[in-house]
Amino acid sequence: MMQAQTHLEQATQKKAYLTLVAISFFCVIPFFWVLLAAFDPQATQFLSLPKELTAGHFYNLLVNESGVRWIFNSVLIVGLATLLTLVFAGFGGYALSRTSAWWKRPLLYAIILVRIVPPPALIVPVYKVMLWLNSAVNNVILTLTENVEQQILLSRIFSFVDGYLGLVLIHTAMQLPLAIWIMKTFFDAIPKDYEEAAALDGASQMQTVRRVLIPLALPGFAAAGLFAFINAWGDFLMPLMFTSSPELQTLPLGMFRAFLRVDAIDYGFLTALAVIYTLPAVIAFSFARKYLTQTFSGGVKG
Amino acid sequence: MSKIELINIKKQYRQTEIVKGVDIQVEQGEFAVIVGPSGCGKSTLLRMIAGLEDITSGELKIGGKVVNHVSPDKRGIAMVFQSYALYPHMTVAENIGFALSLQKVNKADIAARVKEAAEMLELSPLLKRKPAELSGGQRQRVAIGRAIVKRPQLILFDEPLSNLDAKLRVQMRAELMRLHREFGSTVIYVTHDQVEAMTMAQKIIVLNQGVVAQVGKPMALYEQPANQFVAQFIGIPKMNMLAGSIKGNTFIGENQQQIPLAHNYPEHAKVHLGVRPEHLQLDRSGSGWKVFLVERLGVETFLHLRDEAEQQVVIRLEGDSPVSEDETLGLSFDAQRCFLFDANQQRLSPNIEQLKHVENRA
Repeated sequence: MMQAQTHLEQATQKKAYLTLVAISFFCVIPFFWVLLAAFDPQATQFLSLPKELTAGHFYNLLVNESGVRWIFNSVLIVGLATLLTLVFAGFGGYALSRTSAWWKRPLLYAIILVRIVPPPALIVPVYKVMLWLNSAVNNVILTLTENVEQQILLSRIFSFVDGYLGLVLIHTAMQLPLAIWIMKTFFDAIPKDYEEAAALDGASQMQTVRRVLIPLALPGFAAAGLFAFINAWGDFLMPLMFTSSPELQTLPLGMFRAFLRVDAIDYGFLTALAVIYTLPAVIAFSFARKYLTQTFSGGVKG
Repeated sequence: MSKIELINIKKQYRQTEIVKGVDIQVEQGEFAVIVGPSGCGKSTLLRMIAGLEDITSGELKIGGKVVNHVSPDKRGIAMVFQSYALYPHMTVAENIGFALSLQKVNKADIAARVKEAAEMLELSPLLKRKPAELSGGQRQRVAIGRAIVKRPQLILFDEPLSNLDAKLRVQMRAELMRLHREFGSTVIYVTHDQVEAMTMAQKIIVLNQGVVAQVGKPMALYEQPANQFVAQFIGIPKMNMLAGSIKGNTFIGENQQQIPLAHNYPEHAKVHLGVRPEHLQLDRSGSGWKVFLVERLGVETFLHLRDEAEQQVVIRLEGDSPVSEDETLGLSFDAQRCFLFDANQQRLSPNIEQLKHVENRA
């Protein structure tokens, strides 16, 4: 009887594993294809085992084309945006978690509303605002220096349209609502007792933040940062709208333009680009994973 | 100097006044316990002393200096929280040493002082663990270690034993008293448990609805309660109260039972006579009280009795007693042990003339 039951259990378990393997296989195939094609000198539209392996596509992308530039732009813009998002979300989430003011709920819903509106619907007003800010900034730059080269450089960095600052800020603005909500919920779960204990241990506000609040909120920061990074990394619309010069192109834009080229589509080049494009997301996830699963307990009771 | 003075301290949340003008002094090195039922404002009062709550009005002096507007990290006091509030991302050693590391004490000194505190609290084998890996009693010790390692002049305790089981609580009570003797810091300890107050305090402050009901040594509160609240709050089971009136030196209960008093009191139509369960005697030949519940604890027995006017009293008897439920018995009152309270729940004092007379005789 007992043995029959374990047999049955084993059989069910086997079935479950087989199903899971089938599903995983189905999910992994596209990535596998991209990976194979990226190293295949004769990459085609179809899945085929390469006869030989080559790094030529990557070489082509990084050396002959502006691959390095695209990667640099994407990493810089998305990285800075994620950092800014975390700083603001940390402060904002903490404040919204601890306040008991009457405007707490309305503000929270207003913040999430920003997230609900589809970004293309925001294009016109945002572009208008950015354009206005842009002319203001460029006027300032013109008064600062007479040197045209310096003007171009400053303009590239600080412009709101076709400049790094604009892209960083717009990405931050788009990712902030969700990040604030994540951090607010996270701080809700951190009892005020820890801060009070730190105050009585003699910690100043800064010390409390640095040595108690931030370590306790790390899993929250990891989650918020991961979402912000992956969303901004995959964003195509904003770079498309706010950049025109080739020097400012990001990875998704480069991929898009490579795809649109008039001559035959170079699948090897595109898949190599796709591999590079996927890599940071994977790295970001593996980096955040350690903190995502980390939870703190046992500090307070009652 | 770490004498603590509270001068007419008040606390108001929006429209409600929670602490309604409290005047307390706690001497240097004293173990003071603030005790009261939940919602009496005792925790708020403690948090005001710690600096975690603003003081609405009044003055708080520590060591002679007004500290109303000094932030908690600059008051030089330590606090043990009801929830312990151990930092979960730090080990026991880091938790205990946190305050010192904030003061930029060098690492070797921190390690030495943490070790000393850990030895005192028997935490030495646990120093490398995180709070999540500790039992309730061990967490409690770490919380105390974190407070004493600073060698503060004043330590505040906010119901520190309420999360422990009964056995551990008794043990920790003894330990806290030992630590206080060794350290000599001033201690202000908040609890709702009058047993903790009676056993540990050098001075008890009874708080009721935001005002101080009475301040005094434990036995003074037991023997000379100033009002009905303190009389019933101190002592388990609580003091029996019988409604009635006074005529001369006789108390006339609602069941017309007459109880002779030790002194002459001014005549009152509406008073309460209070007498503790341990000061009542059973009168087996008498009648008027019916037993409705017997609680046998071995070392003592509590009888719950009711009279015709539905007034209830509890009486404590040593050891076991061959009394059964529904039996009818009489009670005899020890006149010296009876207290009288007026309609405002304040204790009545006997006619002064007669009191002097008694004193002269003694």
